[in-house]
Amino acid sequence: MSQQLELFLVGLSHKSAPIDVRERVALSGEDLKAALTELKAMDGVGEAFVVSTCNRVEVFVQAAGEGPARHFFTSRAAQATEHLYVKQGAEAVRHLFRVASSLDSMVVGEQQILGQVKEAYGLASAASAAGGFMSRLCNRAFVTAKRVRTETEIGRGATSMSQVAVDLVAKIFGDLEKRTVLLVGAGKMGALSAKALKVLGADSVLVTNRSPERGQALADQVGGTFRPWEQLEDLLVEAAVVIVSTGAPTYVLTQELIRRVMKRRRHRDLCLIDLAVPRNVDPACAELDEVYAYDVDDMQKVVSANHEARRGEAVRAEAIVEAEVRAFAQERETRAALPVLVELRRWAEQVARDEARKTLSRAGASLDERGRESVEAMAQAIVKKLLHAPTYRLKEAATQGDVDLPGAAAALFGLEQEDQPPRARRAGRHAAARPAASPEKTK
Amino acid sequence: MSLELLRIAAALYLVATAGFVLYFARPRHRLAARFGTWLLGFAFVVHGLSIGIACKEFGGLEWFTLRGGFVLLAWLLAGAYLLMQRIYPLPSVGAFVTPMVLLVLAPTLFGEGGSGLTPVATSRPALTFHIVSALLGVALFGIAFGVAIMYLLQEREVKGKHFGALFSRLPPLQSLDTLSSRLVRLGFVVFTGALLVGSGMAHRVWQGAWWSDPQQLRSVLIWLLYGAMVQLRHSGWHGRRYAKLTLVGFVLVIVSMVTLRAVPGATLHTGTYAPAVRGAPPAPPPQGTPAGGTP
Repeated sequence: MSQQLELFLVGLSHKSAPIDVRERVALSGEDLKAALTELKAMDGVGEAFVVSTCNRVEVFVQAAGEGPARHFFTSRAAQATEHLYVKQGAEAVRHLFRVASSLDSMVVGEQQILGQVKEAYGLASAASAAGGFMSRLCNRAFVTAKRVRTETEIGRGATSMSQVAVDLVAKIFGDLEKRTVLLVGAGKMGALSAKALKVLGADSVLVTNRSPERGQALADQVGGTFRPWEQLEDLLVEAAVVIVSTGAPTYVLTQELIRRVMKRRRHRDLCLIDLAVPRNVDPACAELDEVYAYDVDDMQKVVSANHEARRGEAVRAEAIVEAEVRAFAQERETRAALPVLVELRRWAEQVARDEARKTLSRAGASLDERGRESVEAMAQAIVKKLLHAPTYRLKEAATQGDVDLPGAAAALFGLEQEDQPPRARRAGRHAAARPAASPEKTK
Repeated sequence: MSLELLRIAAALYLVATAGFVLYFARPRHRLAARFGTWLLGFAFVVHGLSIGIACKEFGGLEWFTLRGGFVLLAWLLAGAYLLMQRIYPLPSVGAFVTPMVLLVLAPTLFGEGGSGLTPVATSRPALTFHIVSALLGVALFGIAFGVAIMYLLQEREVKGKHFGALFSRLPPLQSLDTLSSRLVRLGFVVFTGALLVGSGMAHRVWQGAWWSDPQQLRSVLIWLLYGAMVQLRHSGWHGRRYAKLTLVGFVLVIVSMVTLRAVPGATLHTGTYAPAVRGAPPAPPPQGTPAGGTP
């Protein structure tokens, strides 16, 4: 007796659950692998795959019901129950495609999630929890994510202060090779930005701070060199990018100081990024030629504008996701028709072989080797000819999403049809007389 | 025939320009930039053929007219940009340079090719070198002009904290600054070669009179201006001041090129290089000869 399997998603994310719940159910590495093996071994589960990041834990199962996926959460944290969401069939497919395309992320368009989904699939595959269905599902999700990334501008523009700093510096200097980044003060944001700037290949990072101990600690943290506060003016002459984030209530870099510095550095471009509140860089510094000065408000404006732009692009991305969900459903239907074809051919060829054998045994020695081969070939040719039109029609019906014909063919030829295509979507079109949902694979 | 080919080249330049502008407006259409580059290369070849045929049809005298000068200048602009694109792959620069090619080429599409006069001296390789290198120098100054405009636009965005479309589409300030100064330096070297060869020839052909020719004086002044720019760069000038100087320099080059040729007989650079008899006054430009076009 076969059992019909459907795709279920049970999960929680930054939208539905607080971090203290998320961290209780999040798994990684060997723990996740063991959990996948356990999930796969549960009754009624065909395949499974788990996406577990700091913002979401989502269990995708091809199973008879959502129970096993739900158990994954409840067995780890009882309070997870009230934060869970459940999706099924096309809804679950759409959700995965949206997640992989970063449409469901905290920062829409961020690039990490696709790598995390790929990693999750790799792990499920290694644990033998993901098979053919999950492979097709995930590959389609990756294709969707790639389309979204290349066909829209959803990933454009920085969405964090440190990334904005990188973008600004890149627009002034291109890269930071053979250039120095100076960190003034030991603020946390400054350290983050200095780390982010490393992608531009800064030659060296210098750190200065009033308190040498904290300065040295920060230098160790960002992989830089600590220099005493008294050398500030000399350091400003040396650096191309200066990130200021001290706790001082007044301007640390005044216009007069920067004017002096610019003269000494023969007016080479200088970028000042002030991450302190209250500000540490006199806004008048920006009036000097070859000085590019930005404060927290300037950077926040960029972040907000980019968020807005990404939201606009997300509308276009949703259309791509929708098209891919439809394409995936169609692909499933096509695949669902194939077993009927395979079964039909297998049956017909078997009939041809049996009948040829009977004929040959009756003919006995009256036929030579060549004659025997001719009889066998004729039997196969008749099968081929007879099945030509049905094969063509069945393939055509499959691509058009018509599931009636494969069923009719199976009934007509008395074939045992194990696989049924999903019918839930067509419930409106074909009246109620059919069984509900149905999966790509049945056990 | 040459004019028809020139018009085909102009149509190709137009489509290439559209490709570069589309890429600039929508950077995700990378194919548009690639398509623009290929089309620009094709247009350059067709343009080159047109120039070759024009040499056969009208003789080299064509290149002493303002029209001919513009035809050559547009060709060298396109060629220099294509070469630059291979060394510095910044396709967004194409959106600024290809319209310049079109702008320079446009007036030449409606004129008549050739002057109908028999050239005397155009078969001299030195003269060919002089003309081509002088115009190549101007073409390089022209691309530097385009890059300087880009620099000033980007500088306004970065300094003024307008992080909009231009900010994201234009290349980094340093890249533009470096590129513009390298183009000026290279243009200066090429222009120097043109000036040396041209002066030597002029001295032989016109003897003492060459020095008083306004075209010569103007060329020397331009050479001095660009020489000063090269020197200023070495002494630390860069950024906005340097970009503005690049703009001024090229505007002076073009304005002087056009105005000098607009006055008939203002210069000896007409292509009728009959060697002067020692001590005799320089030969006046013949009637009906259009004003010369090379710098």
